[in-house]
Amino acid sequence: MTARRRDATRVLLLAAMLVVFLAPLAWTALASIGLLPDNSTRPPSWTGPATLEHFSEIGIAEPTFWQELATSTIAAACAATLAVAVSFFAAYGLARSSFRANRGVTQGFLVLASLPAMAYVIPLSDVLRRVHLLDTLAGVVLSEAAVTAPLAVFVLYGAIAQLSVQWEEAAVLDGAGLLQVVGRVILPLLTPTVAATAVVLFVLDWNMLLVPLVLTSGEIKTIPVAMSDFFTFERELDWPTAAAALIVSLGPVAVLVGLFHGVLDRFSLGAGTGA
Amino acid sequence: MSGRDRIVLFTPLAILLTGWLVLPALLGLLATFTNYSPFTATVRFAGLANYATILSDPQFGAAARNIAVFTVVAVPLELVIGFGIAYLLRRPLRGRSLWRMLLLLPWLVSPIASGVMWHFLFGSATGVLDFVLGWLGQPDLQSPAGDLRLALPTAIAVEVWRVAPFVTFLLLPSLSAIPGERWDEATLAGASLAGRLVKVAIPSVAPLLLTITMLLVGLAFGTFDTVLILTGGGPGTATLTPALYSYGRAFGTNDWPVGATSGWLIAAGVLAAGAIYLRLATVRNVE
Repeated sequence: MTARRRDATRVLLLAAMLVVFLAPLAWTALASIGLLPDNSTRPPSWTGPATLEHFSEIGIAEPTFWQELATSTIAAACAATLAVAVSFFAAYGLARSSFRANRGVTQGFLVLASLPAMAYVIPLSDVLRRVHLLDTLAGVVLSEAAVTAPLAVFVLYGAIAQLSVQWEEAAVLDGAGLLQVVGRVILPLLTPTVAATAVVLFVLDWNMLLVPLVLTSGEIKTIPVAMSDFFTFERELDWPTAAAALIVSLGPVAVLVGLFHGVLDRFSLGAGTGA
Repeated sequence: MSGRDRIVLFTPLAILLTGWLVLPALLGLLATFTNYSPFTATVRFAGLANYATILSDPQFGAAARNIAVFTVVAVPLELVIGFGIAYLLRRPLRGRSLWRMLLLLPWLVSPIASGVMWHFLFGSATGVLDFVLGWLGQPDLQSPAGDLRLALPTAIAVEVWRVAPFVTFLLLPSLSAIPGERWDEATLAGASLAGRLVKVAIPSVAPLLLTITMLLVGLAFGTFDTVLILTGGGPGTATLTPALYSYGRAFGTNDWPVGATSGWLIAAGVLAAGAIYLRLATVRNVE
């Protein structure tokens, strides 16, 4: 097969994948602007015209939706920042300690990252109630940070372990202390990896349902919890309004991923595994 | 590195993980051997009573079977589809970064939003399923999510749709980093597509595939959000998962000890898979 024909086949296959994976989202986007199919006619027809009113209906169906959007943003941003910060220090410590088992420890963090929140979120809600952090932003942020930190440790460890130690040694000879080495030598070398990790953690936090669901009771509400409320309390939404809410909830993460697209491939599990 | 340096570096993470993950998990483990709940006045030792209750509960049996099927089917599908797309994207291609970004979009949809979306897409009035059937001149179908036999495969398909793109995202950097000469050598040696996959692609990313598999198994064991809206665990117990069971017991029927105990059974499953993972991953490192 010639190279050109091979490339054409690739593009064709990729286009087929794109249709399969994006058709549901395209359907949702069309519904959010009022373009709906009518399956009762033969063949099915489309109803219209396009309108933006379903986006304002979100605020009628769920008066606090826009506030929930703000809560989700703040919680995810704080949790991702906190998790990346504490993980960065620990990953540096792991990568640079002489401690022979450190690879095993790092793999242990991956197992911890795989542990579903359901495994411990029930007793966690009891612990938070006792320390009066239930239904507070701090409680949600700290809990989400703890869920995602092990994954951040794994990724950042892999990136730091690949760095040559010569920069740090030079800085130490110049009299730099530990925090200066981490902040002024390592961090600038790994800014893209840190940014990519923070973006992935933001997406995970933004989409997290179980943790905020169990740890809040109305005072603090994120978008996924609001969505689950709608359906579990049988206040079923109209599809165009639900579609509009879906598109709005997808927007911030899609924009974020678009903005950081150039560095996202630095989020690699490969380095930690030695691949 | 001095001992003081280690304290500075590890303490913040240790506080976060101990306070918000390890300590609750261990207190939860202790509680599974008692009748403890946030509302009991006197705590009594209960031995293995909670475990006996759960293991003799046919609902939990159904949930355990469902999640076994879910994991065994969904994880390989996610790996194969995710790998396939990454393989197609591994070489330079016009507009590659746009392809990559568009093909990551399903993973950006939250599991709960994915459940909401597919609930409507499978519904008859405005759904995509009946739209296609209508064009083919076929009668409308009931939502497969409400069908006793189709509900679990449907939940699996919905989750594969969301997770396979994440697998592509994780595999792509390592697949594109394989030096071009290695593909050329294999091609010159007459290797077919299958040969190139087995001799070049898979060995280069084998440790990474193992790591991704661990994450996917954990994700599958904890399946909760998507199923909550799509089927609520039904019809009957057709799509009940251990996570839905735990949540329902702890917060629905206020059977806190049973909920906490079945939550720990999920942890035990993941930790058992983790023990196998650690063995395989460290054997590789020694090589």
